[in-house]
Amino acid sequence: MAPWPAVWARPDDAAQAISKIVGSRPVQYGRIHIELAPLVENGNSVTAKFSAQSPMTAADYVRAMFVISEGNPLAEVVSFHFSPLSGRAQVTTRIRLAESQRIWVIAEMSDGSLWRAHADTVVTLSACTEMI
Amino acid sequence: MSSPSNTVVTLPEKVRRGEVFEIRALVRHEMETGFRHTEQGVRVSRDIIREFTCTYNGEEVFRAMLHPGISANPLFIFYCRAVKSGDLEFRWMGDNNYQTILKHSIVVL
Amino acid sequence: MKRNVGAAFVTGLYLAAGAMGAPLDKRQSAYHLMSSENQRMQDDLSINPAMFWLLDGQALWMGQGDARSKACFSCHGDVKTSMQGVSAGFPKVVHGRILTLEGQINHCRVEHQNLPAFEYETRPLLSLTSLIATQSRGMQIKMSESREAMPFIERGRFLYHQRIGQLNLSCAQCHDDRAGQRLGGVSIPQGHPTGYPIYRIEWQTLGSLQRRLRNCMTGVRAERYDFGSEELQMLEVYLMHRANGMRVESPGVRP
Repeated sequence: MAPWPAVWARPDDAAQAISKIVGSRPVQYGRIHIELAPLVENGNSVTAKFSAQSPMTAADYVRAMFVISEGNPLAEVVSFHFSPLSGRAQVTTRIRLAESQRIWVIAEMSDGSLWRAHADTVVTLSACTEMI
Repeated sequence: MSSPSNTVVTLPEKVRRGEVFEIRALVRHEMETGFRHTEQGVRVSRDIIREFTCTYNGEEVFRAMLHPGISANPLFIFYCRAVKSGDLEFRWMGDNNYQTILKHSIVVL
Repeated sequence: MKRNVGAAFVTGLYLAAGAMGAPLDKRQSAYHLMSSENQRMQDDLSINPAMFWLLDGQALWMGQGDARSKACFSCHGDVKTSMQGVSAGFPKVVHGRILTLEGQINHCRVEHQNLPAFEYETRPLLSLTSLIATQSRGMQIKMSESREAMPFIERGRFLYHQRIGQLNLSCAQCHDDRAGQRLGGVSIPQGHPTGYPIYRIEWQTLGSLQRRLRNCMTGVRAERYDFGSEELQMLEVYLMHRANGMRVESPGVRP
């Protein structure tokens, strides 16, 4: 057994993380909008905006969004949970990206339906770092 | 703007009823991933914020469950529908019993 | 006749000294090399992590944590008025020595507040330098070109052009000759210190210009000058002169 787990996740880890969320339920592609720069100067902090069109009423709202990474040491990045009171299913945050990769978002609606979308990005390293 | 100086939350003071308004919540935290090592090869243990919630007059408006993949000094820009005047409460919880709570009143016209 | 030639020679030197590095109209802050998201992170203080240091700085300015001595506020009043434009003229040359903003703050602490000096890169020192530097945000860098300052600017200019490290590179070779070209996928900036202290995404924290210069030295595999060393101070003076007239962006964000 290695003293610590393998550093880089594989697309299988991402697939595993996604199947933990969706189980055996069908997932359609679409409805989610991911705003992520195609080229990133430093993977330590990458602004990302996630949104899904929805009236956000008690009868019809986005219950949750899960962000999954194919290239980070851990596939789960963050999950967001909304209510009709949210008014809008949209979040902007700053995530870490270990390397150029694909990001997945899984959205769960109040009617139980599941949706997915992805975005690809190239991550470069900043110049002249330092020793700790 | 808010205090203490480990959180910065930005939101309008007054909103019209029914309006969806934006909230920006920034918290000071290194979000130590648990994957880094010292020069001596010793692993630096994970120490991150795990959960952020915003409640509005006691009702949850937004929740984020964080993992190490969220950058240091986590930021969330999210939305809330103005229902009635009252209190918004922001809570960050994490490893090593970390907890920060901030309350903000809102006037709904 | 002799006098005219002498005057022309001095004027020529002055013009050459004024146009250090890139010619005036071609100077560009590294802000313009950043993504729009990172630009917004800098512009919008409500999402700029440097806010935490500003808030801490404001608390320190008002004297919190040091009940035994007088606060910055006691002498300087409101930081917004008293410190407006101040950092845009630092480092200064005072009594034949370079005085950085950090040095000035420590001078106040030791001489007027009866408090110990702060070490470089400590949270309180960065909080105060960022608070003061922010009061010059949007204003033009205004460095003295006095006869007293010129030898230090020239010495800094010499260091800037000196090859160092295992890679045997000078600052000028990247930041003058090759600014705008790419190094490992990143655009090489001209290296103007318009935003310091910066929240550097690479550090995931706020840091000083001297910290960043030490990173450059690591980049060319050179032994780094110490924090507060004469070399780093002279480089600061030279770089700020080279950026004379450019707008202060503090607190900046950089990748």
